[in-house]
Amino acid sequence: MRINVLSKGLFSLIIDKGRVGKQRDGFCESGPMDSNAYDWANFLAFNLDGTPCIEAIGEMQIRVDEDCVIAVTGREPSLDIDGIAKAVYQSQKVSAGATITFKSVLLGSKAYLAICGNWQVPKAVGSACTVVREQLGGLNGKGCVLKDGDCIEVLANTRVKDNAKMRTLAQQHIDDYGFIESIRVIPGYQFTSFSNVAVRTFETSTYTVSSSIDRMGFRLTGESVASDIENMRSEAIHLGAIQVPGDGQPIVMMRDRQTLGGYPKLGCVSPCDISRLAQAVPGEKVNFVFQDEEEARADWLLMTSRRRRLQGEIL
Amino acid sequence: MQAFGCIKRIVTAGADAVIVYFDGANLDEANSACHQMLSAIDAKQEHIAHIDVGKKPEGDTSTRWSWLRECVPSYDSLLIIFDMALIDSHGVYLALRELSAENIYRLPTASEQRVKNSVVEIPVWYGAPNASDLSIVSKKTSLSIEEIIALHTSTTYKVYAVGFSPGFAYMGDIPEALKCARLGTPRKRVPKGAVAIADRQTAIYPNESPGGWNLLGLTAFDMLLHKDQHSESRLRAGNVVKFVSITEQEYKSGLQVEL
Repeated sequence: MRINVLSKGLFSLIIDKGRVGKQRDGFCESGPMDSNAYDWANFLAFNLDGTPCIEAIGEMQIRVDEDCVIAVTGREPSLDIDGIAKAVYQSQKVSAGATITFKSVLLGSKAYLAICGNWQVPKAVGSACTVVREQLGGLNGKGCVLKDGDCIEVLANTRVKDNAKMRTLAQQHIDDYGFIESIRVIPGYQFTSFSNVAVRTFETSTYTVSSSIDRMGFRLTGESVASDIENMRSEAIHLGAIQVPGDGQPIVMMRDRQTLGGYPKLGCVSPCDISRLAQAVPGEKVNFVFQDEEEARADWLLMTSRRRRLQGEIL
Repeated sequence: MQAFGCIKRIVTAGADAVIVYFDGANLDEANSACHQMLSAIDAKQEHIAHIDVGKKPEGDTSTRWSWLRECVPSYDSLLIIFDMALIDSHGVYLALRELSAENIYRLPTASEQRVKNSVVEIPVWYGAPNASDLSIVSKKTSLSIEEIIALHTSTTYKVYAVGFSPGFAYMGDIPEALKCARLGTPRKRVPKGAVAIADRQTAIYPNESPGGWNLLGLTAFDMLLHKDQHSESRLRAGNVVKFVSITEQEYKSGLQVEL
């Protein structure tokens, strides 16, 4: 089956789970910005975990030349097939020749499109995930973003029977992407080098998501939270690390962050909240709350076991 | 978490990661301790993977660190990322302490010593027109261009860390006299293979990218090894590097060899 890109949207990438074990060679982790939506998309499209899919900002339009099953997820996503609105977070059967249009209603948020089958995209350094800066991954393995006229080959998955039961994630179980709840942060790295005042300021202030947000990092603006550290040796930056450069404005490090860096860090955003933050758009207000690592681990275990239960019930 | 062995501190990094800081009389020693710990972890993974094939030897209680997701070393630190479903940070701490008790900070074996002692020679066309801040460096250091090249090629450097971007190796220390601050405004475009210095460090840009280091010249030495669909860094932490001055002609014929 061929998937033709009719309209690429603003910024659309082929992604997968990302590169594991390669950060020591300087390759960034990469992977889906919103891993929750990515995992659900593949599950709902009958794909195995880690199958490539499309992460799109803006409205994207594609055409398929064979019958297939797809699913669209993300923050406030929308989907229509041949001009007819269809449910998101649900397996959708698509007929050969149909035009699929999908997007996130919020400009800047990401929508995920999974298509059932085996994606014929090359692996570069162990992954098909596109990293433009590193010229890796994507359709030709050289890190190109998707463009109009691109054609992706996906082979039919013979495991999926024609009469397979379509899958739906009920509305009440779809992740809440709002920011009424604070973003949880685990104190770590140079946390103790920040003054009590700085820590309290960080926890009690509201930060605004700036327009400098990309796959490397999200710059926030708000109350300054300077640390006492002037010079430190570069060290590995974990996903969600909150880096505070000299100007005191925090940057949350995302999937395509550089592997090493020398700015002091307050800790890391909880793995439970990183997908939610990754879907924030410029101008949104975010609050942070510190949480110790045991609590964070408990939350994460609960979240993953809940997802497993839900998937078991949907099957 | 209490320190042990060559470890100075173990600190929480995030919910699923700890960062280990190493101790030593100087940076070189701390860096070596870090990479000895990393080798011990890697060796353990390989060793156990090997045992898995056959039968577990009697009395061997070791089990594979299936919870280990990734290790990312730097100058004097090692980030250890784990699977929260299988272990917590205290478990990671216990595993590291057990490993440390196995005398991992040992003297290198003869073959390791050979690898360690072998010097990687990197030919550089100093003053290549599109990659030269020699006059700026000359002003900053009050050295002549000839002196700068002589100093940069005078000594061997240790690769402390690989990171920032694929194949980017941080090497040091350059002679004190060559020490010079980063450019005030980073360049938008540094060519592939540019050899650069900043503070007491030297490095090579593996690919065209933005950058704020002072450029000395160009090398045809490819920082990434490409094998089928896999690329890896050609230089590894612990490698010893020496720069050699070459002419424009030699650089250009070197480019052809690398291609």
